[in-house]
Amino acid sequence: MRKQNRINMALSYLILTIASIIIVYPLLWVVGTSLNPGKSITSDIFPSNPTLIHYFDLFDATQTDYGMWYLNTIKIAVITMVVSVALITLTGYIFSRYRFVGRKNSLILFLVLQMVPQFVAIIAIYVLLNMLQLFDTHLALILLYAGGAIPMNTYLAKGYFDTIPKELDEAARMDGAGHLRIFWQIILPLAKPMVAVIALFNFMAPFNDFILASLVLRSPEKQTLAVGLYNMVSEQFDNNFTLFAAGAVLSAVPIVLLFFAFQRFFVSGLTAGGTKG
Amino acid sequence: MAAIATPQPTKTPKPKTNHRTIAAAISIVPGMGQLYNKQFLKGATFFIVVLSYFLVNFELFFKGAGNGPGDRGAIWGLITLGEVPGVRGDHSIFLMVEGIIALILLVFGIAIYVWNFIDAYRIGKLRDLELEVPSLKMQLRNFRDNGFPYAMLIPSLVLLVFTVVLPLIFTFLIAFTNYKFNNSPPAKLVDWIGIQNFLNIFTVDIFRDTFVSVLGWTLVWTVASTTGVIAIGIGLAVLLNQKGLKGKRFFRSILILSWAVPAFITILIFRSMFNETFGVFNTTLLPAIGIDGGAEWMTDPTYTKLALIGIQWWLGFPYIMTLTTGILQSIPEDLYEAATIDGATSGEKFRLITLPMILFATAPILITQYTFNFNNFNIIYLFNNGGPAVPGQSAGGTDILISWIYKLSLGSNPQYGFAAAITLVLSFFIMTIAVIQFKRSKSFKDEDMI
Amino acid sequence: MEIKKLVAGLSVSVMAIGALAACGGGTDSGSSDTSSEGGKKPTKIVIWEDTEKAETTKAAAKAFEEKEGVKVEVKEVKMTDQQKKVALDGPAGKGPDIILLPHDQIGTVVDQGLIAELKDGEKALEPFIDTAKSAVTFDGKVYGYPKAVETPILLFNKDELKEAPASMDDLYKISTEQKKDGKYGFLALWDNFYFAHGPIGGYGGYVFKENGGKLDPADIGLNNKGAVEGMDYIGKWYKEGLFPKGLIGGGGGQAMDQLFGDKKAVAVMNGPWAVASYKEKGINLGASALPKLPNGEAIKTFVGVKTYAVSAYSENQEWAEKFLASLTGEENAKAMFEKYNEIPPVTSLQEDATIKDNEVAAAVFAQSKDGVPMPNIAEMGQVWEPMAAALQLVATNKQDAQKSADDAVKQIKQQIEANNQ
Repeated sequence: MRKQNRINMALSYLILTIASIIIVYPLLWVVGTSLNPGKSITSDIFPSNPTLIHYFDLFDATQTDYGMWYLNTIKIAVITMVVSVALITLTGYIFSRYRFVGRKNSLILFLVLQMVPQFVAIIAIYVLLNMLQLFDTHLALILLYAGGAIPMNTYLAKGYFDTIPKELDEAARMDGAGHLRIFWQIILPLAKPMVAVIALFNFMAPFNDFILASLVLRSPEKQTLAVGLYNMVSEQFDNNFTLFAAGAVLSAVPIVLLFFAFQRFFVSGLTAGGTKG
Repeated sequence: MAAIATPQPTKTPKPKTNHRTIAAAISIVPGMGQLYNKQFLKGATFFIVVLSYFLVNFELFFKGAGNGPGDRGAIWGLITLGEVPGVRGDHSIFLMVEGIIALILLVFGIAIYVWNFIDAYRIGKLRDLELEVPSLKMQLRNFRDNGFPYAMLIPSLVLLVFTVVLPLIFTFLIAFTNYKFNNSPPAKLVDWIGIQNFLNIFTVDIFRDTFVSVLGWTLVWTVASTTGVIAIGIGLAVLLNQKGLKGKRFFRSILILSWAVPAFITILIFRSMFNETFGVFNTTLLPAIGIDGGAEWMTDPTYTKLALIGIQWWLGFPYIMTLTTGILQSIPEDLYEAATIDGATSGEKFRLITLPMILFATAPILITQYTFNFNNFNIIYLFNNGGPAVPGQSAGGTDILISWIYKLSLGSNPQYGFAAAITLVLSFFIMTIAVIQFKRSKSFKDEDMI
Repeated sequence: MEIKKLVAGLSVSVMAIGALAACGGGTDSGSSDTSSEGGKKPTKIVIWEDTEKAETTKAAAKAFEEKEGVKVEVKEVKMTDQQKKVALDGPAGKGPDIILLPHDQIGTVVDQGLIAELKDGEKALEPFIDTAKSAVTFDGKVYGYPKAVETPILLFNKDELKEAPASMDDLYKISTEQKKDGKYGFLALWDNFYFAHGPIGGYGGYVFKENGGKLDPADIGLNNKGAVEGMDYIGKWYKEGLFPKGLIGGGGGQAMDQLFGDKKAVAVMNGPWAVASYKEKGINLGASALPKLPNGEAIKTFVGVKTYAVSAYSENQEWAEKFLASLTGEENAKAMFEKYNEIPPVTSLQEDATIKDNEVAAAVFAQSKDGVPMPNIAEMGQVWEPMAAALQLVATNKQDAQKSADDAVKQIKQQIEANNQ
């Protein structure tokens, strides 16, 4: 039995190590490439004559507008995060605690409606934004991201709030607290892990979207990272891969850091929200 | 609407008065019913809200649509899609969108108007039953308590209506028009053509062949990529949660990296790694294990498919792993102890305790993983743009339905009507599955127990 | 509208919706509020110039403003995106007066009603070379001012190759020799129909038959004997490993640039747009027209003409044309050439010293004599993807040329038909 156990353990370490290598390799490769001189794709993970030139080039305004894309994306990401978290937690709380017409089915309805691909409707979004004078603004993009995030995240949030005992609300109500105050001062602080997870997801959204961003934003100075980076690698001619690699590394870094900072919330935030919800 | 709770009298005496009917009837002028019920503030509010609403929107509903003569409203635009083609004429698509927006606003307005009737009727009924009509103070408190959820939901609802419902209605309507690249405004008007687009899926050879083969691969892709992700995620979570394993934190941090880096970036990185001439797979990795000459990752559909599935496994498992970790930590230890006493091997424990617990708890999330990959546009588009080419069809060899729809609607030669029809067919599939699953999931069954 | 908004403000929920509606009501007035008739001076005109190629246009705009008193605003929009964007921005009332298009889109854009026929017509075209004239003429009407002409030429590394080879057979020999050293001789993106039309046309294939100055979309010559021979010839380069696998598909251009830039290939078939980046990589660059095919015919490349057209939504057509005449005139066209290598299709400039002595420009002029203007009828839009698929199948040796060509033509015809239903 002991021996069996030891073999099991050894095997576990082996599998975990192999998996780790598979995960790390592409990431190391792109870091290595970004340090390579020249413009080309290489297979050197450890370049013989590493250089930081591409990182400096990124912020050389005559070469790319990377710095501007970066600021735009961070701005959009932060506001999207705040707006979405506010809307989602409140909506989730309402769904968890109140009874109202349409409560039972409206969430599923929106979850399901959201699965319909919107490519055909991009023209409709254009006309709508144009009517609202929102075309080519970051606000439009933020509203679209926030709107898109509501159904699924509300589902998670509702699940999480359901796990917080209702007695807490009632006790607070006895003490004369109003609806919003109960939500804001009593319940929300207890839902920190869930808020962290939702905040992170919504912060990441602008980093992953290039379709909506390229539709809604017209001016080059308003562009986001995803669109800029995509154009860098998709130009059929005059492609600068090492510059892309440097740009990719720099845009991934803040997200990875945030991710690790929030990691401890994941297990509880996701599990409670996702499974019991 | 639940603005005023109706107390149920124990015995219903026959009412001598008929205030409810009168109140409801004169509510045809908004607010009059409330006035009749002596609720002056409420009546005035209803009057002003409804009136101002229709005043503000009057122009949109009844005037100024299109560039043709006469007062033609957005609703007219939606029905006719315009009458005069040309740059200074009607633009069918703009008319359609404006029409849908007008329609949505109209529904809002009618809802308020209908509420006005219901409210007047209710209060009238209270008076008929000679019950106390809520005082102004009570009304306000009632409104605050019962209206709270509605008021708080309005921002989300408005946002959802315009980001989800409007595009959906538009797509739905477009599917019944002949809108396509060489039949588009301003030169031409778009017309309603019934279900022709849906018939074309099955009657035009090239569309039918493409549809069948794309649908086939979409299903294979969905099942293969998602099932793999789930298996790997659960497997690694179980390994990581073994008692006595050292370096848990370290391994977990490494493994979660593939989730932490934005997928958009990693897919572009993989695309370069799989480049047939320069990519590390063909230049370094495959030769290192003795395969020379490399594989046709980008030009042979089979290899591209394998690469795509592998990449999705790489991208997707940490989410499942994290989720599973949470569940594993919540499985009571005594279950395992009892099993050990009964002489169960670790394999049996996994099969009989761990796995069922995980699958039971995560079922709804797992379903969303399948629907996510069914519509996983980014990976297909960014990796090889749906390519490589295959003979006899208008989509690439690795196009799934959603990326085909992308090509049909935003490609070089858009077929909006047809793309919309395909979208609806696809949506029908995915919605059916999703609805069944969500309905069955625990949280929605227990709805009324909260 | 203001008072109405005030009234609407009484209710929170209604206000949100009401403001939306208030804006909605106003959109349509946007297009009709400017009533500029005839030659009335507009306050400004707007032109969409290609991204990263706008400096000289901005200079020209400034000069024009000083001279005529009409402001010209230059906005940078990627040329390949302009068609789609103007289709939305035009009707929305905020489109530009002038857009820039590859001339092969003219037919489509005219069919959609997005651009206006030039009022100056024939007269406007007098300064330009014939290829450019026919490129911007559609259905007998003139739709634009030619900005630049481009066609693929042979670009080679002078350190490896003293002068341009006379025939493709010579290049073929060089390639087979280079291959022994693990390098490449000649590279071309022949899985892309834009480049592949060269050999296909040289062997006798054609896209649409020309009938009395008009293209006939019913007569497609992409699976005739010549076209299939051309595709077989293309396939040979891939089959014998003279073109690497990585040249096929989306990353092909990148792969080709990289091989040529790293001196692992001696010569490439590419357009004048690639010149700058090759020189930047330190290649001692030579340029010439493409060599003759084994059958003795010239490679019939597609000639493309970047064209400035006036939006149908423009209220200032006359002033837009006036500006374009100046922008594509000798002086500005030359400046554009000097700064961006945009080769001006202006007859008088062909003899100009700076252009004549420029190897690349000379090569483009020489090659464009053998080339054919890309078809500019809308049906051309149905050709690219099926042909790309056919060429990829031939290049990867998955299907023979005849079958692939037949499939492609069948698909093109089906798509044209499906489109015209």
